Amino acid sequence: MTATHAGQDREDAQREITRLCAQTSRMLMQHGAESALAESVARRLGLALGADEVEIALMANGLTVTTVQSGRSHTTVLRIIDRGLNMHVVTEVQRTMLLAEERHLDLAAVARRLDAIQPLRYKRWLVSVMIGLSCACFARLALMARGIEGDFATPALTFAASAVAMQARQYLAHFHFNPLVNFAVAAFIATSIAAQGMLHGWVDNPKIAMSACVLLFVPGFPLINAVSDMVKGYINTGISRGVMAVLLLLASCGGILLSMTVWNVWTWL
Amino acid sequence: MDMAVSTLLFTLQDMGLAAVPAVGFAMVFNVPRGALLYCALGGALGHGLRLTLHRTVGMPIEWATLIAAFAVSLLGIYWARRWRAHPKVFTVAAMIPMIPGVYAFTALLAVIEIDRRGFSEELLNTAITNGLKALFIVSALAVGLALPGLLFYRRRPVV
Repeated sequence: MTATHAGQDREDAQREITRLCAQTSRMLMQHGAESALAESVARRLGLALGADEVEIALMANGLTVTTVQSGRSHTTVLRIIDRGLNMHVVTEVQRTMLLAEERHLDLAAVARRLDAIQPLRYKRWLVSVMIGLSCACFARLALMARGIEGDFATPALTFAASAVAMQARQYLAHFHFNPLVNFAVAAFIATSIAAQGMLHGWVDNPKIAMSACVLLFVPGFPLINAVSDMVKGYINTGISRGVMAVLLLLASCGGILLSMTVWNVWTWL
Repeated sequence: MDMAVSTLLFTLQDMGLAAVPAVGFAMVFNVPRGALLYCALGGALGHGLRLTLHRTVGMPIEWATLIAAFAVSLLGIYWARRWRAHPKVFTVAAMIPMIPGVYAFTALLAVIEIDRRGFSEELLNTAITNGLKALFIVSALAVGLALPGLLFYRRRPVV
């Protein structure tokens, strides 16, 4: 009788290890960590919690984890849904794994700590202002590269266009629209505001304002993740991330093009 | 001497301007508050190094990007160990000022223009040259970031 109980307990513990490994890997993939990290953190967590072997297969929108403990294996599959980039979650998940490796956390404590992670979000207006400033700096860099000094109206217009567009993008994301829709609509708004500089002759270099104000739509993180995934051998997740990044770029292009048609301002080419 | 001073001032201004987008995009990536300063430093150093290698040394932009990304990645590993976080938490935001956004958009818009206005050699030329620049610079950024892992941390994790 006691032997069966002990067996049952061991099985429950293994099931819990498998679940935690899968949850760790999923949290990392959902918040924009590269595949190599999602795999290694989950494996190290499983080994630290007492599994003999942890095998993880990552796909673009799902993952499989198998743990082996004294000859018995247990497998689980989870779906991956994109939750948006969040380096705070990635950091917290990794620190949980490190604490488990250093034997500061046991199985239950790891589960508690993972469940307690609340994704950090910066205030929406603050992000919009910072992105506005970022694109204004891009405009200034472009002016400097062309040897133009002392034009401060162009960065100012860029600031206005991209800050408003970023606010719109975050507002739309709040209502759970597809990111492709968000990007297209927000790119339309950004280009429309910058186009006014061209139409009314507000600034000396409206072309730079128009190209700098849409730089907030370049999916830099997915692009870098796509290449680094592929370099490290995760070709399938790398390709799907790369395709998603190009789709986001194309959606933004759609917004830009629509805006240029509406205002009849053809500056890009 | 005067030349050197003006180059230095130009580079410093460039670094200052690159630090802002690094922080701005780090906030979009929800980088923890304490790490934002490292993103700013990485962004400024990476962009300034690339500018120096490209304009002063005369290196092609892709190779300059690769070396700058490698340098920032090494710094990122140092910070990552002190901070107990993955280096990408700091380094990807620092790469943002170097992302070839204008090239990428120009290439895609040129492709769309071929559809709208009909084929012309000039448009195809714009599409391919800009597209290749964007592709190679992004690859240089990602490979540069991955290089320390490929060269020095082959069988052991950074953190």
